Amino acid sequence: MSLFVRRQLPIAIVSITAILVMADYFFRIAATGPIVRDLQNWGIILSAFALGFGAVNLFIVHTRHISKQTSNQWPYSIWLLFMVALFAGVGVFIGPTSTQYMWIYNASYFALSATLYSSTGFYIASGCYRALRARNVQSVILLVVGGIALLRNAPMLAAGYPILIDIDGWVNSVPTTSAQRGIMIGAALGAIALGVRTMIGRETGFLGRRTEAER
Amino acid sequence: MSSLWKKLEDVPREVLYGLFLLAFIIPMLSPFGLPIPISADVRKWFATIDALPAGSTIMIDMGYSAGGEPELGPYAVAVTHHIFKKGKLKSIYMATSIDGVQLWETLMAEVKPEQYGAKYGTDYVHLGYMAGTETAMAKVGTGPMPSTDYKGNSIAQMPVMEGIKDATSFKLLICYTTGGDQSEGWVRQWVTPYKTPYLSCVLALMIPTMLPYYRAGQIVSLVSGATAGQYELLNKIPARGIKSADVISICHILIFAFVVLGNIAYYARKASEGSRKGG
Amino acid sequence: MLYAGRIFAFGMLIALALIMIGCMEMAKKKLPTFRKLAGLDALPEMVGRAAEMNRPVHFTTGLGELTGTVAPQLVAGLAVLGYLTELAAKYGVKIVYSVYQPQVMPIATELMREAYIRAGKAEAFDQEDQIRFLSSEQFAYAAAVQGYAERERPAANVMIGPFYAESQLFAETFFRVGSIQLAGTARGYQIPFFAVVCDYLLIAEEIYAAGAYLSKDPVQGGSIQGQDIGKIIAWVMMFVGVLLTAAGSPALMDLLKM
Repeated sequence: MSLFVRRQLPIAIVSITAILVMADYFFRIAATGPIVRDLQNWGIILSAFALGFGAVNLFIVHTRHISKQTSNQWPYSIWLLFMVALFAGVGVFIGPTSTQYMWIYNASYFALSATLYSSTGFYIASGCYRALRARNVQSVILLVVGGIALLRNAPMLAAGYPILIDIDGWVNSVPTTSAQRGIMIGAALGAIALGVRTMIGRETGFLGRRTEAER
Repeated sequence: MSSLWKKLEDVPREVLYGLFLLAFIIPMLSPFGLPIPISADVRKWFATIDALPAGSTIMIDMGYSAGGEPELGPYAVAVTHHIFKKGKLKSIYMATSIDGVQLWETLMAEVKPEQYGAKYGTDYVHLGYMAGTETAMAKVGTGPMPSTDYKGNSIAQMPVMEGIKDATSFKLLICYTTGGDQSEGWVRQWVTPYKTPYLSCVLALMIPTMLPYYRAGQIVSLVSGATAGQYELLNKIPARGIKSADVISICHILIFAFVVLGNIAYYARKASEGSRKGG
Repeated sequence: MLYAGRIFAFGMLIALALIMIGCMEMAKKKLPTFRKLAGLDALPEMVGRAAEMNRPVHFTTGLGELTGTVAPQLVAGLAVLGYLTELAAKYGVKIVYSVYQPQVMPIATELMREAYIRAGKAEAFDQEDQIRFLSSEQFAYAAAVQGYAERERPAANVMIGPFYAESQLFAETFFRVGSIQLAGTARGYQIPFFAVVCDYLLIAEEIYAAGAYLSKDPVQGGSIQGQDIGKIIAWVMMFVGVLLTAAGSPALMDLLKM
């Protein structure tokens, strides 16, 4: 495939698409509206296909594990593929909101997901216990603010000591919001920089591997 | 003595987790009925929905995943009870989370909208999962709306969709989400261009990062799912949220107690080692 | 022609884009200098520790897609991956990259292979073993990474990119197995979790600087310089805005609302 098709054409498509979407946002141009709506539809369809792409990759990786009988892995790969097939089969042939699908969803995926998510509570408890030690000035500040947040977020203490709500409110409104605004401005500038680099063809990571000739 | 302080400074993880587990289980099995103050943000959320005129349409994004359901689910249930109980409001649901449709089914099974006389297609509809997060939000905002619901049925003739063309057709936007992409995305795609009033319910850990939007007036009320008990009190429909509030209180106090213990042990150990060296 | 309320935003966007392009061009002649980032300076120490302990180094860029809003963070993480892989190859340490999004795999493969070639150890690179696509489902991915940590007990763990709820799971698990950790994310929700547990931390836009800092690439360096100018503009506007608002003038507010 020629360099034009592999590099310049995708960059041109990205740049033109970005300019169209931005033009539609900033300018009153009747012609861009329908084009941008179509692009949005295509974007949604592509995102949905990306999910399918993930499933295909999973399938390839785990069938490879099974065929190679990777130690400590291949029985789990068989189980994984079985569950993928079960969910896909029930979802497609019976329906993704059918009683049967909801049963296997609630019994397996929902329970496991909620459990893993909830385990972060235990981890943060041990993290707080270890980290909130008054070793130096910065850790004292972390300790004091963390302590206030812990006490304020215990409803019974907030009910008994409303001053905790006022102090936590000030901490949230002033230092926390200011710091978060700074982080948001930085992140937004990073996103603009990436967009600019992509549109002018200086960011080519998304184009995949380079050939020897391109190197 | 310093070895005792060293042990207290470094309590094994298993002990900590075991106590934490008890702090979860005991209040869940036998609620203590600890006091729950109702925050200004929850009251504002409640008042915003209460103030909606009859016939208003609300866009509701089921943007949370299965992992976040224990925290956000109770709040979503409480708010849904409120919307249906108030009546004469139309709710159009969509999901920017892939789990959103299944979680909506769970939500509706818990709320039972038929008890309020609400009917699917007339008072509420679910447009299904839409991939692409902000692209989906932008698409729905500019219109036209999707032509089918989450089961693939045509929504063109459904009374709930009458007059709905784009973001300007909605009086309120509600988002329950475990992902910052959704909670911030709605600000960019609906609040900024269309000035749609926006109520956001997120995980407690997301509150500090969402505060700039809230303080700038882009979000009408910002709450965490952990405040579900407060909403249930306002609604007068007790459920999972109130029970969880006891657990939250006990667990927070337990962690604080361990933090204090760790600091006392740290300084006591240092002091006893220091005095030993001094002779 | 322009929508009311978006004129100023458009002007700022064009100005920032031009500044960034200008900085990228200037960086080709003279690379901008960066302040020291302790976390990045510790990378050789982390890899050295792994070499001494004969244990691998683990790397992850977290969740996020190359086409999503968190793509800049993912790209920043990949820049660090290239540098870390070259270091690991030089020290003879195995580096494993746990992948969440399959679309990242070809890019990671190229990055890591080139890093091994630069280190003169091309034959040591084993793509199947070192780049592991685990799952595109958040907690399945998290569980897989935790399982890897418990089984192989890497000496060092580097996490740079967009992280979600799994950040705390990773940080605690790798702490428990004795890994030295460097973490960085621009997702404000997760920074506190990393701050509490990890040995080294890169906060927000430091991860964008990381790629430029390590690679010495003029495009990335110029881009960072352009972002810094953007931050200075924001700072000046805030300062002027505070003064004007205190003096009772709505001038800056009106300008922003244009």
